[in-house]
Amino acid sequence: MKTIIRALVLILALSVVSGCSKKSGPTAKYKIGFANLTEDATFFADVRTSIDRAAKKAGDIEVIMANNRMDGATALTNAETFINQDVDLAIEFQTDEKFGPAIMEKFNARKIPVIAIDIPHPGAVYFGANNYKAGLIGGEAAAKYATEHWGGQVDKVLSLELPQSGDIPAKRMKGQLDGIRKHIKIADRDILHLDSKNTLEEAQRVVANVLNTMPDAKRILVVTINDGTALGAIAALEIAGRKQQAAVFAQGADASARQEIRKSGSILIGSVAYFPERYGDHLIPLALDILEGRPHEKENFVNHVLITKDNVDKYYPGK
Amino acid sequence: MSYRSLSKHTPTLILMATYVALIAYLSISAEHFATSNNLLTILQTVAVIGIIAAAQTIVIIGGGLDLSVGSVVALTVVTVSLLEGKGIPIFWASCASLAIAALVGTVNGNAVTRLRINAFITTLATLSIASGVAFVLSSGHTNLIASSGFRVLGIGRLAGIPIPILILVVVFIATHVLLTSTRYGRAIYAVGGNAEACRLSGMDIGVVHRRAFLLSSLAAGVAGLILAAQLGAAAPQSARGYELQVIAAVILGGTSLTGGAGSAIGTLLGVLMLGTLRNGLDLLHVNFYWQEVVMGLALGLAVSADRLRQFRRPKGD
Repeated sequence: MKTIIRALVLILALSVVSGCSKKSGPTAKYKIGFANLTEDATFFADVRTSIDRAAKKAGDIEVIMANNRMDGATALTNAETFINQDVDLAIEFQTDEKFGPAIMEKFNARKIPVIAIDIPHPGAVYFGANNYKAGLIGGEAAAKYATEHWGGQVDKVLSLELPQSGDIPAKRMKGQLDGIRKHIKIADRDILHLDSKNTLEEAQRVVANVLNTMPDAKRILVVTINDGTALGAIAALEIAGRKQQAAVFAQGADASARQEIRKSGSILIGSVAYFPERYGDHLIPLALDILEGRPHEKENFVNHVLITKDNVDKYYPGK
Repeated sequence: MSYRSLSKHTPTLILMATYVALIAYLSISAEHFATSNNLLTILQTVAVIGIIAAAQTIVIIGGGLDLSVGSVVALTVVTVSLLEGKGIPIFWASCASLAIAALVGTVNGNAVTRLRINAFITTLATLSIASGVAFVLSSGHTNLIASSGFRVLGIGRLAGIPIPILILVVVFIATHVLLTSTRYGRAIYAVGGNAEACRLSGMDIGVVHRRAFLLSSLAAGVAGLILAAQLGAAAPQSARGYELQVIAAVILGGTSLTGGAGSAIGTLLGVLMLGTLRNGLDLLHVNFYWQEVVMGLALGLAVSADRLRQFRRPKGD
């Protein structure tokens, strides 16, 4: 009897969950599959939301969402799921280069066109960020800040990275450090590479730890892989009472970073915008161009801008 | 101290000696390790994990396991920031967040004791559900926390000591007293040691487990509030993997995964050991990947030590 009750509870729970999920209309003209890189950061949530919004605005498009969980094998499985669901086009956001050809092989076999975000996939239309360039913009801005406020002297650079996640974050971080080195002389031993693990609390913990190794550093530049890790670093500097000795430069310019930049006395000086909330406005029209045989660019790049206190309202009025 | 008492405390004494050796090694090899600032940093960074670990000790001694704690932290963090963003006073937002944490604990306890679903499976499910709800509520976004009064909880000091450390100390003292000097504490050890015997003797073991799960979730809720106050921001992916760090600290501290044995003092040592190790590895600038290897080895050693203890433990002890 108890087993039956347990089974009924499980069935009821599953029914509620499935009842809560959105049902798409059966009459959509196009079915587009979008596999997000992950859902673990604001950036990717913004990309997903923007695609959903742009598809609704365009009308007659059903978008099937999937989460690649930053894993090539999962991306491959999601590609198969899209094929089984007869998508007309796939938007693939996965950054494991090794899996690109295998994914494309599956889509090519069914003649399903693909738009690849951030990592070129053989035969796919490219859309995405120029991570190295975005990093360079942030790094040069950090160097400019050090020149204007500290006479070009920097004691330490904290580079909050994501070493497990491959080439894309590495390019972004390299761009930032190259941007700093272009204008500021700094020894390699004074650049500390830290693993942020892509979370606020880990960024906070690791920065809190290394701050104790540099009691004499009064001019600290912090460059980060994204906005969340920048907020973690700021919390660590605040707890250590060393906010005034640092300037932080982030990547992403998401809503939380913009809110922080707007705060009076914030040490988040700038964050390079990738405009993920506009990705959909580019991707959906591009998808329609491909599906309807209209001419389109094979490579489409995001225009990166450094968002600071001075221009945040221009790019994000009231947000 | 009698031989029996000495034998009972041997794991804690070994752990203490190991910890002293670790501190001695790091004091010599890492230039800035033995400074007051760094020692405070270690305590401050382990506060969140430590508070959760204290309550997890009760759950594990009682023969249970709570994997949902990390997600409860995330849910608390997200809830308090969203409610604050909607204009609800931070005190009530915090109370509401703790109530949600308590609800998760109640669900865990009831599922385990009334529906007889395995604790591992139950809390794995609530881990997923709580994490999912945190993402749904926040739409995956990070939100800042504006209240400066609230942030005192995470970054304020009392008599020069950071408030999270004071809370950590209070929580561990309370856990120690609860486990050693109350009827409930004795019941936890008894149930974890031999649940069937307790049931046959007329003890309501369901109540014992339900209270343990409730305490665990509430502790995760308090830890979530501290984390949010420390960071000044709330992200739905907060505290991911904390459950493993917490369980590692508890097991390292001498609590048996099969229940019936363990102590709050041991867990505190386990938490300090892992926190100090991480701090030391950062200070020594050990490569990221090697850090993971070392932390994994520490966990492996802890579990092996637990297995050894079980082999050596006489039946019925």
